[in-house]
Amino acid sequence: MTLRKPQAFLKKDFLMETSYRFSFFLQFGGIFFSVVMFYFVSELIGSAPSVQQSLSRYGGNYFSFVLIGIAFSNFLSVGLGSFSSSIRGEQMMGTLEAMLVTPTRLSTIIISSSQWSFAFTSLRVGIYLLLGGLLFGVDFGDANVIPALAALLLTVIAFSSLGIISASFIMIFKRGDPIAWLISSTSTLVGGVFYPISILPDWLQKLSYLFPITYSLDAIRLSLLQGYGFANQEVTRDLAALVVFSVITLPVSLVIFRYAVRRAKKDGSLAYY
Amino acid sequence: MSETVIQTNNLTKEFTKLRGISSPRNFFDKVSFTAVRGINLTVSRGEIFGLLGPNGAGKTTLTKMLCTLILPSDGNATICGYDLARQQAQVKASIALISSEERSFYWRLSGRRNLEFFAALYGLSRRRTRQRIPEVLEIVGMSDAAERRFQEYSTGMKQRMALARGLLAEPDVFFMDEPTKGLDPVAVRNLHDFIRSQLTSRGKTVILATHDLVEAEEVCDRVGIMQGGRMKAEGKVSELAGDASLSDFFHNLIADPEKKS
Repeated sequence: MTLRKPQAFLKKDFLMETSYRFSFFLQFGGIFFSVVMFYFVSELIGSAPSVQQSLSRYGGNYFSFVLIGIAFSNFLSVGLGSFSSSIRGEQMMGTLEAMLVTPTRLSTIIISSSQWSFAFTSLRVGIYLLLGGLLFGVDFGDANVIPALAALLLTVIAFSSLGIISASFIMIFKRGDPIAWLISSTSTLVGGVFYPISILPDWLQKLSYLFPITYSLDAIRLSLLQGYGFANQEVTRDLAALVVFSVITLPVSLVIFRYAVRRAKKDGSLAYY
Repeated sequence: MSETVIQTNNLTKEFTKLRGISSPRNFFDKVSFTAVRGINLTVSRGEIFGLLGPNGAGKTTLTKMLCTLILPSDGNATICGYDLARQQAQVKASIALISSEERSFYWRLSGRRNLEFFAALYGLSRRRTRQRIPEVLEIVGMSDAAERRFQEYSTGMKQRMALARGLLAEPDVFFMDEPTKGLDPVAVRNLHDFIRSQLTSRGKTVILATHDLVEAEEVCDRVGIMQGGRMKAEGKVSELAGDASLSDFFHNLIADPEKKS
């Protein structure tokens, strides 16, 4: 796949997004309010010994813990939702059929359609971390960026695979995708976004190990807050789990998506919404 | 002997679905509907073939099958020698679909930005795109309006942009689904002139699906009249209608479901 087509999608989506200037800038305002809110929540509960004990694995500070949780869980949302929402968006705009009649592979269309969401989410996560560091004193001085980036890359692949399965539902059923809803809700509940999984009942902790977000957030927090690298067993265990998730789910998702497209072409419902 | 560009052999499309919730007792029973039945069609290079028929006749399904957007249930077809089922990438590189669907563009982007995006999807290099976009804008008379947002265009301008997009990659076959819908008479005349002067004279083949029988009579070399998914009549207008008008022939044919030329 040459880069010409993905670049064209990125440019088109950037131009579309920035054509709604007010909405574009409003999203950054939302990040500010979210960070400030969690800062005050942290002020309220962060000094409790039980909280600090639960978070000792990540340095003991609730605000830095939750900042990374809410920032990087954005990748969960975009990985799960961007493929299906971009497909549905193109179906509703009427542009999907025009794209499908060009000599462009469907896999190129679906992957390229979600690039902007990932690029924009990366920008949002950067702003989360910047605000946390500059305004609220989160210390990233010891951060080990390379393992965090490796975890992020594997996270994107793992979540995207689930997102492609979700897009397959949209391709056939048009609305009411249960995959994204189920995984997103459960991941947020048990994956350690707002609280460490160690406070969950034993059975929920076991459940959390089935979701890639658990390993993603753990590896990213250990790398950014504790400065752990590839030599750390916990980080490598997390990365290995994410590799296993990706290796299993990516091919499965592509097979399911191929089936969904074939089914939609048989039904003649490719561009319906 | 003229070169065959489109050849279909018993091309058929049957849609099947479950009865579903509309009949809970028979939820899993299948209901079938045959939209296109056993179409055998041959279209030559440089020909304008009119696809006629009442609503629901199967014109759009046939067109979409030939554009790879719907999979046939039975039969096969070749476009420019490429197999419709097995060589979809080559088929897509040989065709353009120009429909009256205004929603197939990004309304908040300018005409030029839309063309740049689709040029990339058609595989044009950056250099070729820079050359080709002014050329196609000139051909369709949209050079002065290229920087305006698509949403600001009139119906006729939107249709001309659809043509411009179809011309980008210089394909061999143009599928036009009601391209004159919503156009004023002057724009219709210009489009017809354009098809003759810019497309068929250069060896391009045009499949023109239309409800406008006058248009078909004026522009098409041959027509096919579909009803109930079948091709009920096919040939040159003069051969089919004789001394009568195409309109009279069409209405007689459609009024009598048993009649087949």
